[in-house]
Amino acid sequence: MQTSRKGKFQIGLLLLPGLLIFGIFTVYPIIKLFVMSFFEWDFGSISGQKFIGLENYKEVIQDSYFRTAFINSIVYTFVTVPGQMILGFLTAFLIHQVTRFKVGYRVLYYLPVITSWVIASLVFKYVFNTEGLLNCFLVNVIHVTAKNIRWLDTRWSGLWISMFLGIWKGIGWNMVVFLAALQTVPTDLYEAAAIDGANALEKLFHVTLPCIKGTILFALVMLTIGGFNVFTSIKMITGGEPGHKTDVVLTWMYYKAFSTGAFGYAAALSFIITVVLAALALVQFRMMRQKS
Amino acid sequence: MKKGKKVLAVLLTTATCLAALAGCGNSAPVQTENDSESQETTNVTDQVMSNTDTSAPDPSDGEEKEVTIDFWHHYSAQSAENDTLMNVLIPQFEEENPGIKVNAVSHEWGDLHEKILISAQSDTLPDVGRLDSAWIPEFEKMGILVALDEEMPDYSDTAAGLLDSAMSTASIGGHSYGLALNTNSKILFYNVQALNDAGIDVPKTMDEFAAAVKALSGTNENGQQVWGYNEPALAGWNLCPFIWSMGGAITNEDETKASGYINSPETIEAIQTLADLYAEETITGWNSGDIPMTDGFGTGRYMMLLEGPWKIAEMEGAYPEFEYATAPIPAGKSGSISVLGGEDISMFNSANKDAAWKFMKFMTSPFAQEEMAKCGQIPVNKEALESDTVKEADFAPFVDAITTAKSRPTTACWSEMDSELSVAVTAVMNGEKTAKEAMDELAVKFDGMLAE
Amino acid sequence: MKKKNIIQVILHLFLVGALIVVVLPMVYMVSTSLKPNGALYEYPPRFLPGFDEITIENYLYVLGQGKFYINFFNSIFVAVCTVLLAALIASALGYVIARFAFPGKNFLFSFIVLTMIIPGLTLIIPQYQLAVKLKTINSLAGLIPFYTAWTIPYSTFMIKGFVENIPRELDEATYMDGGSVLTVFGRIIIPLAKPGIASVSIFNFLTAWEEFPWANTVINDNIKRTIPIAISGFFGQHQFTQWGYVFALSVFSLLPILAVFIFCQKFFVAGLTSGSVKG
Repeated sequence: MQTSRKGKFQIGLLLLPGLLIFGIFTVYPIIKLFVMSFFEWDFGSISGQKFIGLENYKEVIQDSYFRTAFINSIVYTFVTVPGQMILGFLTAFLIHQVTRFKVGYRVLYYLPVITSWVIASLVFKYVFNTEGLLNCFLVNVIHVTAKNIRWLDTRWSGLWISMFLGIWKGIGWNMVVFLAALQTVPTDLYEAAAIDGANALEKLFHVTLPCIKGTILFALVMLTIGGFNVFTSIKMITGGEPGHKTDVVLTWMYYKAFSTGAFGYAAALSFIITVVLAALALVQFRMMRQKS
Repeated sequence: MKKGKKVLAVLLTTATCLAALAGCGNSAPVQTENDSESQETTNVTDQVMSNTDTSAPDPSDGEEKEVTIDFWHHYSAQSAENDTLMNVLIPQFEEENPGIKVNAVSHEWGDLHEKILISAQSDTLPDVGRLDSAWIPEFEKMGILVALDEEMPDYSDTAAGLLDSAMSTASIGGHSYGLALNTNSKILFYNVQALNDAGIDVPKTMDEFAAAVKALSGTNENGQQVWGYNEPALAGWNLCPFIWSMGGAITNEDETKASGYINSPETIEAIQTLADLYAEETITGWNSGDIPMTDGFGTGRYMMLLEGPWKIAEMEGAYPEFEYATAPIPAGKSGSISVLGGEDISMFNSANKDAAWKFMKFMTSPFAQEEMAKCGQIPVNKEALESDTVKEADFAPFVDAITTAKSRPTTACWSEMDSELSVAVTAVMNGEKTAKEAMDELAVKFDGMLAE
Repeated sequence: MKKKNIIQVILHLFLVGALIVVVLPMVYMVSTSLKPNGALYEYPPRFLPGFDEITIENYLYVLGQGKFYINFFNSIFVAVCTVLLAALIASALGYVIARFAFPGKNFLFSFIVLTMIIPGLTLIIPQYQLAVKLKTINSLAGLIPFYTAWTIPYSTFMIKGFVENIPRELDEATYMDGGSVLTVFGRIIIPLAKPGIASVSIFNFLTAWEEFPWANTVINDNIKRTIPIAISGFFGQHQFTQWGYVFALSVFSLLPILAVFIFCQKFFVAGLTSGSVKG
């Protein structure tokens, strides 16, 4: 199709606001961040920053707090992503099979997704308090433990609460995504499989899952990004305590930037995370491609 | 075709709006917290309106010369102090000084420090701040505080009305970077009933204290765990009374060196004493999942605390029937040494100086100091200290503690040292390091920071 | 027929059982907000308040003394503006990228997808400095362009998928009638991509409504705070937290998003189908 001069002008007009906003508020900060990561950039040095090459990167990688936070982020992602996907898929699978109340289930299972992170974190903190409802239930009602468990006070149990929250909050999103995908699987494939004598499990693995592979990849990539994005729940539930042991990469970055003013350090850290995520996404794409 | 034009119009409007948003976002109109509610709504609407107005007018061009000063503080949003500030002091000030409005913003203690660091980066500092006196050296080094003695002609008259000892917290290199606002220190609070039941006397020495902590711990009649002592955090404010009373120190007198002080045998012993008590589950409080201090004390779960004068008003409000008493900090081999607290009211260098100074003088005036004394803030105004309110408030035990109390290191890197200190002591408490290992490592870090 | 019924019952049992676990925290939140504030450290903690002690005092406090309706208004203002701007900008981008060839198009689209990978918060430092330069620190309206920029990549990606499903013949017919690029956008694309736009808009609304770290960093004044900042302001103050107020405010803040969701929930599935299959 030939586009007239007027058409070209109008296309430009449609592109303009998007390019402006995207350019100013996303692209420019990315470039700025990259530049900052090579400079000594602190609270004190607002005007006179010094180029220090890869020093910031070196400092980040050698920092034991960063390594703890990085491992925490990896663990968080590797636990919450499969957790959400499996539970979300199972829920969707069940809802797909029932004939009544589909909409009701969909709405109710989605409730945690629309609960804001701040609120959900506070509720979890309240429930998992050492003197909270859960411990009371465990000690006084079902007597599995004689003493209150200090859920929020150690590295792994504190992280576990945040991971549990992440899974709880993510089930609904996965459920909706997979429910949509399940509706696209052609029913004649199931019929064909049934003629071949496939049982329910075989149908699931040989028909359903291959058909929704695109969706699985989509969810995998989105959730992995989400896993590294975790911030509010950690900040509200443990605040990185005890002694920065439950910090994840973003809470540690925020602490370094805004509590100590190490902007150059935080910029380098941000870039490292971005590269790691891009690599992870690439690997995920490759893996899914190979399987087909 | 018509529709196409419409879309175009919408797009153009959007672009203009965006430009406007970016251009005049900061030109928020004058606003105050304690205005009547209806006015506040108007303000919000005004603000929104002004943002769609492309020709951002300079707010100071209004017909009336009205000034708003921003005052940031860390009186808790739901506290009696904040109520007094919002409902008594600011209305009074605004009445006395027509044309000046005060926009008071409450931040949590740690957030306030962070917010000031961030705002210093962006030239969005408030006019006046109520600052923990431990922060003054750091902010002075950043160059964001006004030297009052140089800029304010009637500075010496005002300063003369305030306690010298309190004023010294704001003085660096012969200049004064704030007015003392209130002073405080911590003393021992204990649950009277619990001590009677256990048949023990109020601990006078650190050894007696440790013994009492152990004796008071255990379980209550409901089968709940109770702790002999609560410490809500592991920062310098919390640890110093133990370190100092037991003969330890953070740095040398000149604050140039920490090796041999923060890792002296006495300091290590103080930390180890606390760690041992924690290991025996007789003290707690700094963990994320612990019962908050006031609730734990008022419900008989924590038997003793070291706390400041505000605790009296807080207990009055939250647990009025609870019976407790106070005593000096238990003495170690260096005596009973508490930590000196207190806040200064300082002016930031971007401030509207006249209005800010008026407000600072007002906050340190006998009237304001007396009002604040009613909610547990020990005044530093000499006249207010003589008033009946203060005599009735019974600040005597705190005032006694202040005479022997020491202040935390007054170096610009104290905040950084403080957070490293709590990380190190947390590791000791959790048994990851011995007190000696942790303090030796810390000494090296501190020496590095002090050398900078 | 009978066997099928039994299977249905079992399925429902599973779904309801799991559902109870999922909604339990929400129920606890509501029940705590109905307890008298002083009873929150009671022993033993109870899941539900006694029937005679149910109270709405926390709600009255939040509505009255707290002045939280200002924070509420702030959040709605920011969220609605973000949604409208993002919808307009992203559908324009999605339309142009789906339909026209122009230099740098592939680069632009790849770059947009790539920025979805970058964790939003890592850009907070340069974005903060940008906000300083644009003088939008401590300004409610200053939040909007940043939120819009954050939501554009995902929105564009999704809406582009929708536009590609709209038959090109409809465009051609409009051009035949003398219509222009903008006419097609206004008459064909927007109406037909509505479900997609609606579904991303719900996400965008949620994003802006619940955003915490950025607003917490750039907003100073109490009356400019959005709802999440106001809620977290309750928390951690001094040595006792008034959970009753916290949860009453939380329940209030859930209402608008709940309304939006229930009202638009049919778009949800539609929107996600297109995006995920294309993705």
